[in-house]
Amino acid sequence: MRSFVPMSVLPARLRKPAVAVLFGGALAIAWLVRGGPLAWAAILPLLAGIARAVVIYQAGGTDTDEGALAASRADERQQLVGLRSRALAGTIVTAGSFVGLCAGIAARANWWWPFAAVLALAGFGYLLGLSSYGSGEPEPEDDAVRSGRPA
Amino acid sequence: MRNRVREQRTQRGLSQADLAAGLGVSRQTVISIENGRYLPSLPLAFAIARFFDLTVDKMFDPDDEEAGS
Repeated sequence: MRSFVPMSVLPARLRKPAVAVLFGGALAIAWLVRGGPLAWAAILPLLAGIARAVVIYQAGGTDTDEGALAASRADERQQLVGLRSRALAGTIVTAGSFVGLCAGIAARANWWWPFAAVLALAGFGYLLGLSSYGSGEPEPEDDAVRSGRPA
Repeated sequence: MRNRVREQRTQRGLSQADLAAGLGVSRQTVISIENGRYLPSLPLAFAIARFFDLTVDKMFDPDDEEAGS
């Protein structure tokens, strides 16, 4: 999970809990900016973020794959587990958004567009991943192979 | 792909936690490699082979397709 906060200055075990607090804080600020008589309720997402941070920190102390991921000390297999889990989450969100979009269109509702937006973001993210992690243009052919000589 | 990690570890009287500490990976990963549920990366495969003073082809047998990651 990327963050604008320089996470490398934090001990590894505190990084994911810090992100949870930041997310809760961001939601609390959004609620405060919204204002109104229920502005006091902004404390709730902040408390939820802190509670989640405590849970993540405690999980980080366990000798499990989940604990290693929570404490940012995952080895190569555990990173692969985390990567596959995020990929599965993305697939489920995309499928759910597609179902929601179909339902919105069928019901002639005006709430179809958030599903379309999530689908568009997912597609953009996928293409961004291909351009970031793929090689892009085809690699030039090896000279020896091109000239017919054994490599 | 079959490997000889468990065999080599038990021959040396090491626990899975000892091997994990020596390789810098988790105990769960050692268990997964021993059970054939996870194929290690090339750097980790070399690290395992070096740990036991063997070559990679002595540690991992590609002809046996009974397990994979």
